[in-house]
Amino acid sequence: MLELKRALDAKGHCLLEMPSGTGKTTTLLSLIVAYMKAHPLDLTKLVYCSRTVPEIEKVMEELRKLMNYYEKEMGMEQNILGLALSSRKNLCIHPSVSKEREGKVVDGRCYSLTASFVRARHAADDAVPICEFYEGFDAHGKEFPLPPGVYNLDDLKEYGQTKRWCPYFLARHTITHANIVVYSYHYLLDPKIAEVVSKEISKSSVVVFDEAHNIDNVCIDSMSVKITKRLLDKCSNSITILETTISNMKENDSKRLEKEYKRLVEGLRDATIARETDMALVNPVLPSEILEEAVPGTIRTAEHFVAFLKRVVEYIKTRLRVQHVVQESPAGFLRDIHTKVCIDRKPLRFTAERLASLIRTLEISDLTDFSPLVTVSHFATLVSTYTKGFTIIIEPFEDRAPTVSNPILYFSCLDSSIAIKPVFNRFQTVVITSGTLSPLDMYPKILDFHPVIMTSFTMTLARPCILPMIVSKGNDQVAMSSRYETREDTAVIRNYGNLLVEVAAAVPDGIVCFFTSYLYLETIVSSWYDQGIIDQLQRHKLLFIETQDAAETSLALINYIKACDNGRGAVLLSVARGKVSEGIDFDHHLGRAVLMFGIPYVYTQSRILRARLEYLRDQFQIRENDFLTFDAMRHAAQCLGRCMRGKTDYGIMVLADKRFSRADKRSKLPKWIQEHLKDTNCNLSTEECVQICKRWLRQMAQPFSREDQLGISLLTLEQLQSEEMQKKILQRAQGV
Amino acid sequence: MDDYQTCPKCKTTKYRNPAMVLMVNACGHALCESCVELLFAKGSGACPECKCPLRRNNFRVQLFEDPAVDKEVDIRKRILKEFNKRQEDFPTLREYNDYLEEVETIIFNLVFDIDPTNTNKMIDNYKKENKDITQKNRNRQSQEEMELEELLEAEKAQQCEKANLYVNAELEEKKQKHKAREKLIDELMFSDADAKSIVASHVQATSALAKEQPKAAAQPSSGVVKSSKFSSGIQIGLRGQHTNSFLPIPKQEDLPLYRYTAPVFDYDGPPPPPIEKLGKLNYFANIRAANITERAGGYTEAMSCCRALQEALGGLFYSPQLTHKTAVLATNPSTQDTDDMETT
Repeated sequence: MLELKRALDAKGHCLLEMPSGTGKTTTLLSLIVAYMKAHPLDLTKLVYCSRTVPEIEKVMEELRKLMNYYEKEMGMEQNILGLALSSRKNLCIHPSVSKEREGKVVDGRCYSLTASFVRARHAADDAVPICEFYEGFDAHGKEFPLPPGVYNLDDLKEYGQTKRWCPYFLARHTITHANIVVYSYHYLLDPKIAEVVSKEISKSSVVVFDEAHNIDNVCIDSMSVKITKRLLDKCSNSITILETTISNMKENDSKRLEKEYKRLVEGLRDATIARETDMALVNPVLPSEILEEAVPGTIRTAEHFVAFLKRVVEYIKTRLRVQHVVQESPAGFLRDIHTKVCIDRKPLRFTAERLASLIRTLEISDLTDFSPLVTVSHFATLVSTYTKGFTIIIEPFEDRAPTVSNPILYFSCLDSSIAIKPVFNRFQTVVITSGTLSPLDMYPKILDFHPVIMTSFTMTLARPCILPMIVSKGNDQVAMSSRYETREDTAVIRNYGNLLVEVAAAVPDGIVCFFTSYLYLETIVSSWYDQGIIDQLQRHKLLFIETQDAAETSLALINYIKACDNGRGAVLLSVARGKVSEGIDFDHHLGRAVLMFGIPYVYTQSRILRARLEYLRDQFQIRENDFLTFDAMRHAAQCLGRCMRGKTDYGIMVLADKRFSRADKRSKLPKWIQEHLKDTNCNLSTEECVQICKRWLRQMAQPFSREDQLGISLLTLEQLQSEEMQKKILQRAQGV
Repeated sequence: MDDYQTCPKCKTTKYRNPAMVLMVNACGHALCESCVELLFAKGSGACPECKCPLRRNNFRVQLFEDPAVDKEVDIRKRILKEFNKRQEDFPTLREYNDYLEEVETIIFNLVFDIDPTNTNKMIDNYKKENKDITQKNRNRQSQEEMELEELLEAEKAQQCEKANLYVNAELEEKKQKHKAREKLIDELMFSDADAKSIVASHVQATSALAKEQPKAAAQPSSGVVKSSKFSSGIQIGLRGQHTNSFLPIPKQEDLPLYRYTAPVFDYDGPPPPPIEKLGKLNYFANIRAANITERAGGYTEAMSCCRALQEALGGLFYSPQLTHKTAVLATNPSTQDTDDMETT
């Protein structure tokens, strides 16, 4: 809290690592809300970004608790408005549209009911369907602001139902004057969405990125484009649709096309006006100086533009017809497209904007069919706008199946700072936080910003709740390692198996194991079958395995939880970087032990990764090995953190690889794990590991009450106000 | 991937004849290579689809999936050779854009055969009017192209440089390691100094080198000047001194090799007879000899005898006058050591 306050005072960015389950969310919320109350002019808004819908709901729950507490203590209604925002899919209350499962379909159908031309048509002809909720909101909702309070997604829906207003648009509208907004990363990081949703958030806001250990990957994904052959075929189809619509319109209603044409001749003025409000988010897809220019003459008329699109698509198709892997820079691509199909850089840059304008003019209400074309147009715009930090890789087939031709064009962003830069520039304070951010000094480098505060917090615990151990060898003294050279070694696989069997015999309830990849998991499990290890294991616990199929995995998870709940005990074999490792908590009996078999390095042969490593090396002087280790260790830490979700929880963390005990790997673990990792536990054999487990478990299984924590990790009000404690706090505040 | 490509004349598909190549001519209709040879044996003929007269020489391999695009690109290239005015030739952007649109319309008309007489007239007019500019522009690249060329060249140069740099750095590192090792061996072989001190100085030298290297690598790259203070007055590097969070990632350093030193035993009593001499001193007379099965496991009667003697003699000189602390220190290792002895 102290560090956060410093960052807020300094109006700078900060990077905080706090172990999960220690009240991270509450701390952030309570301090920032208090700060907002104390300095209403300096700090007007809190934007809290989380990753998934359940996490958003959790944050809202915490916020509600906080507000209730304020009310109880202060004795009056609080004038603070907090709300959650999610996609239309989660917020729609239209009777038929909300039944749709897919987000894209809901968006498309909503657009077809609420677009301005549809409503105009409805005014002329009652048979054209519109959304009554949106109409209700449009007619009345804009004048009456939402009363102060905390609204999660369900509350919004309920409120919408009673008022008969559309909750989605209500929430979007309310963002501008709400004090606390909770939504997903993408609303801020993805330039295409940020443009629409987050444009009007003022500069004096605090942005919090929670669970942000993967933030660089989110940034990169939001700027990358992947084009397949099928996507291009669909593009060709939509181009034909465009052609026919244009010719139809020319016959029936040529006025509208003319109007659009005139507007384009004048330049994209309407967009410029919106941009003049200084605080608008700079869209990295189109720098504002370009928008001020008029659309180039080559793509001004609709037919010419469609012909232009056709050429672009056909050109990409020819590029996909390669026999070997091609890697080139955006500049090379631009030159090639100029010589092959005579397309200049400038019109390419306007593709996305021009397509949006055309679709609007043509009044195409079903947007879902056009998403491939939109993707291609984004690609065209990006490739011509950025010459640095991107690369184009064309692979004629997948590495695993070199005989099946499946050409894919990857336009991949190599620089995670491009997407996040506008966020850092625009807001006075950006807080990046997660349970596992170590090593902290990597993030400022790859995101290219200067934090004022960068700290890793540890837990104050009444007892040693976690037991991290590095097991480096089996009972036969053969080193355990998932190194490429030794991973197929039967001795290593057997040792891994023995370790699991022995730990399973000693540890009660649930055990979660993480492997480095699906491939490795499968090979290991199949050889465990041959070696009889699976049978031994099943004598102690039930066995569940994560697969690439999401449905199968969730079924396995449900049964795993069932087996743990009824005391049978279970082992879950899963994959680091998989679904289980991110976002599923194994608290208390669900995860008494986590085993990490090997170091989860990424697949280093991937060309995109290679390109990115090279870029990092050239631009930020980050050595390949440093980045790979950093990436592997943050995933390892993420997996280990799954079993520890609070102060009353306890769990064993076994790192089964010789390489973990090296200083460069160990020092990259989060501080709260390192703290408990004693030197004596760094080079254990299976037998020693099991001995330590047994002793520790006996100690941990003692009854643990709230009184035990008092004075150490939990303070009563009297203790907090005692002189000794106050002195301690003061010392901390001045000393650090 | 293009299995469904079909020749409109002979209906051969790419699937049936992978060697089939489609060709296009000015009219934008495709024909396979063998059909072209068959139909245009005389050198010229009519397109089987649109009946427009074509020459055989003008047939080219079809690049794009849609032959219409091939045709358009063809026309476009031809037209752009003439219509090559740059933005610099116009006073305002608006006029340039109008010009671009005009060009686009001409191309569009030619592709779809709209109003051919007028269009051709327009082209001819333009040709006459702008002969000089066209000629001039042909020889000069547009600004945009130049920019791109520059970028590409810079990229290439950078790549070369970087590759060289890293290869050299790696080689250098290897060389240095090799050198250091050779130097160490040489010194150990020829110098008169104490081997220990030589090894120690070698370890020091290598660690110093390792520290220097990252600095050297970082130096050429640190183009950005980093300020030491934020606008708020908080120092950037300050916190690092206290919390380690700003320290560079610790590099794994080569540890010195483990060297064995014989343990020194302190019996705190009269030295027991060494294990080799037990037989001679006739100690075995009072002990049961080891049987065959015991010997198979590596056990000899000397072991237990030696151990018994050590236990008997160890600690005889122990006096309670010594302070408690030292006494514990003195006795503890001795018991452990006897354990060690018994196995040797």
